[in-house]
Amino acid sequence: MGLLAGKRVFSIVALCMMVGLLLLPVVVALPSLAIGEETHAGDAAKKDGDKIEKGRDVYYKTEGIVSGAPAPKTTDGVKDYPRYNFESRVLLWFANQQHLYYGSFVLAVPIFCMIIEFMGVVTKDKALAKRYDQLAYDFIKISLTAYSLTAILGGILIFTFLTLYPAFFSYLSGIFRPVMHIYALMFVAESGTLYIYYYGWDKMREGFLKWIHLSMSVVLNVIGTLLMFLANSWIGFMMSPAGVDEQGRYLGNIWHVIHTALWNPLNLHRILGNMAFGGGVVAAYAAYKFLASKTDEDRAHYDWMGYIAMALGVAFLIPLPFAGYWLMREVYAYRQQMGITLMGGLLAWLFIIQATMIGILFLCTNYYLWQAMGRMRGAEKYQRYIKYLVFLLACGFVVFITPHTMVMTPAELKAMGGQQHPVLGNYGVMSAKNGGINVIITTTVLSFVWYMRGNKVSTVSWAKFGNIFMGVFFGCAYFNIIFLAVYGYYIPANVRVGLSVPQVATTLSCLFFMFALNSVMMRGAKQMGAIEWGKISARSQYALIMLATAFTWMMALMGYIRSSVRLFWHVNEIMRDNSPWAYTHTVGFAANMISANVLFFWITILFVFWLGSLTAKKVPVESKAGIPGSVPQPAPSH
Amino acid sequence: MKALMSLGALIGVAGLLLLGGMTFGVIPSTTVRLVEGYMPIQLLLEIASYVIGFTGLSYMLSAMGMALPRFWQGIGFWIFLMLYLKFRVYPPIPFSVRAMYGTVGLVTVFMWVSANEEDWKKFKQPIMNVLDAQTGMNRLLRYVYLVLIPILIGGFSFNAMMPKSEEPIELRTVHPAPPASTKVHGKTYTLQTSQNPYRVNPEGKYDQEYSNANIVEQGMGRLMKPNANPWDEKNQGYLKYVREGGEIFFQNCHFCHGDNLNGRGLHAFAFNPIPANFTDPGTIAQLQETFIFWRVSKGGIGLPNEGFPWASVMPPWEQHLTVDEIWKVVLFEYWHTGYYPRTWD
Repeated sequence: MGLLAGKRVFSIVALCMMVGLLLLPVVVALPSLAIGEETHAGDAAKKDGDKIEKGRDVYYKTEGIVSGAPAPKTTDGVKDYPRYNFESRVLLWFANQQHLYYGSFVLAVPIFCMIIEFMGVVTKDKALAKRYDQLAYDFIKISLTAYSLTAILGGILIFTFLTLYPAFFSYLSGIFRPVMHIYALMFVAESGTLYIYYYGWDKMREGFLKWIHLSMSVVLNVIGTLLMFLANSWIGFMMSPAGVDEQGRYLGNIWHVIHTALWNPLNLHRILGNMAFGGGVVAAYAAYKFLASKTDEDRAHYDWMGYIAMALGVAFLIPLPFAGYWLMREVYAYRQQMGITLMGGLLAWLFIIQATMIGILFLCTNYYLWQAMGRMRGAEKYQRYIKYLVFLLACGFVVFITPHTMVMTPAELKAMGGQQHPVLGNYGVMSAKNGGINVIITTTVLSFVWYMRGNKVSTVSWAKFGNIFMGVFFGCAYFNIIFLAVYGYYIPANVRVGLSVPQVATTLSCLFFMFALNSVMMRGAKQMGAIEWGKISARSQYALIMLATAFTWMMALMGYIRSSVRLFWHVNEIMRDNSPWAYTHTVGFAANMISANVLFFWITILFVFWLGSLTAKKVPVESKAGIPGSVPQPAPSH
Repeated sequence: MKALMSLGALIGVAGLLLLGGMTFGVIPSTTVRLVEGYMPIQLLLEIASYVIGFTGLSYMLSAMGMALPRFWQGIGFWIFLMLYLKFRVYPPIPFSVRAMYGTVGLVTVFMWVSANEEDWKKFKQPIMNVLDAQTGMNRLLRYVYLVLIPILIGGFSFNAMMPKSEEPIELRTVHPAPPASTKVHGKTYTLQTSQNPYRVNPEGKYDQEYSNANIVEQGMGRLMKPNANPWDEKNQGYLKYVREGGEIFFQNCHFCHGDNLNGRGLHAFAFNPIPANFTDPGTIAQLQETFIFWRVSKGGIGLPNEGFPWASVMPPWEQHLTVDEIWKVVLFEYWHTGYYPRTWD
């Protein structure tokens, strides 16, 4: 009893410490922020003989006291751009991308842990609760090694900046000086919290202590998310600077510098992207372990793990295109030229590749779900209709990836009679593409609904009506999406842009209403057979690996596109890039570079997985063979 | 059910015969016209009809005890798709796009035939039979493949490596990002905020809704709306400016951009690439009016760095036309094509 009370006190103290760690950077930084601003303003005033110079914010158009130096006008040479006998930009690209991969992974996985641990805490089925708890633990274990690698890569990134782009880095750190240390302290807080969370797992596995442990994961994720928001503010500033005047001089308001035009859409897009990526990587890990498994027990466990990771990743993948759409809208609103360069001009080809990757993600997801239906008895009734889903997906995909301006030889161009194909060119514009992606997502929702009811037969009295209603609802949704895509050609562009809202609303209605309706219909449903975990085909696991690879490739691609859109600016319209590498790479070079980054990441993450497996302990588990659909139990202790 | 499937089978057979005729050049691909204004959706509906037809055909063949093995169904569908893209759709689709669609088709067929274990086994069976080579025929086939596959791969490799004298393929940036502002005849125009001074209502105020209501109707034929004929001398204001713009267009632009503004003028095919097709929904319909004003004024020579490889022989019309004339010709282009200029409000 005394021991338990002691544990409780210890846990509460640990949680308070975490909250304290979370608040520490803010508390430490607040006075320094104030002092910093005064000192800066004071310095500026001193320089001008007590005359305070004011500047106008380039974005907010407010006036502020000039508190910093102007953006340096760099020249090509060793002073501003010291270099090895190699393209500095490529080195920085590599360091940055690797850091981002690991950063995303270690930010996403604790969110998964939080969700899964919560599911374990609230579920009434003890055996299932245990499985969830084990799964959450497996997840955090994977992320732990990746965490230190993230820090190492972060260090390498900073050194790369310092050694290869000193003028630029010095300017950027000057602007963000008030929050640089907050970032560092947040990192300390993140580390401390993560270690307490991880090592406290066994000691806090029951009752009240479990809730405390769960609360720790909330704190951990709040810190992680804030960290990411801060990092996003730097790239947001580089793309759409604010809080500085035309010369790039800091005007004393750090909130303006952070809260730039693109900060919020970037934050949302990155959170969703990280989650989808994290889910993909963990799913690939599970797939790899599944394929390497020697026993049915292991196969069942990793099959289940892969499914949960995939489901979580896809849950965040579905809203991702909409968040991307918002980001692009904000880019257009900020600078029309930037939007055109991205989607209609110089970088438009990369967007076609991106569309292909998005399509692959959804194809993989659907394929996995169809394969997963094979491990449940009773799902056969849906399988003969899969070919129609394949057709819908293929049509959506083809429309989504068709380029408006096609790659062709001059002879083909002449035969075609123009740069745009009169039939297929119509698929190349936004109206058709919105239709294409919404058809793909709605079909994915339909696949999920089929999967969820695969081995069940509804026993509610209104089951027939419910099924007809669902069918009609999906039918109307497809009709509405396609109708709006066609209608988009006949209305002005500004109205057409607005059509995406009812299209998205239609897709999301399918997602939320149909999932909810299906859940109600399947309450107390008759089970046709158990889910036989581990009996899934090997092809499904390759689909998961493909899913994760496509995520990593697309992430690198989009990072490159987002960075390239600044063209020859370090900080858009404020600080010019005068290095010899201020040009846009060819599509081929960029694709090779992205592939190299993806390959390196997967090699290193395999190493991380291997390290994680070294600490794994195999403990015999109680057999639940008698229970249909049971999954071998995870090890009761770590 | 059987009646429906029979109907489907009938559609399938008719479709296959039609496609066969087009493939062997017996029937021109324009026999079933792709109707302007409906072409993209028509294409998808045609393919959907084929899928329904094949379902019916497969059902009927099974019912007659002549079921087509899954392996040949998959291969057959992919071949159908490639033939359809090559011989049915006109004008011809560039190889790069057919390759993209072909790859998607291949993936799709794979997803279909391997969606469940039973289908996958059926699909693999002929391949496994050849690999196992239990019968004389399969053994023979295995040897044939052993010889043919390396020859095919070698042929493809040779073809890929062989130096070619064709002009290289260029990834052309058709719509480079415009500058923030442009200076024409000494006056600076901010592209994001400038407006066409001739897009006005009867009160003489800028009114896009009014002008939108008077443009030609899209769809088949692009017909003028009643009481919105710019060539009616009585019409003033917006329609009069459209008429003036039209006169300028037919004096200066139609030689290249064509009478129907579809980029097929008298001189069009002397250029590479041929001039812009304004009736395509991806050209002026996607752009702000000021973008067109900038492009017309500055021409090919004024393309920014981003407009690689600057393949345009369009003259900088500011050297030949006044600012008013440029705005009027832009007005006419939107009127004639039935498109609305892009706005950001």
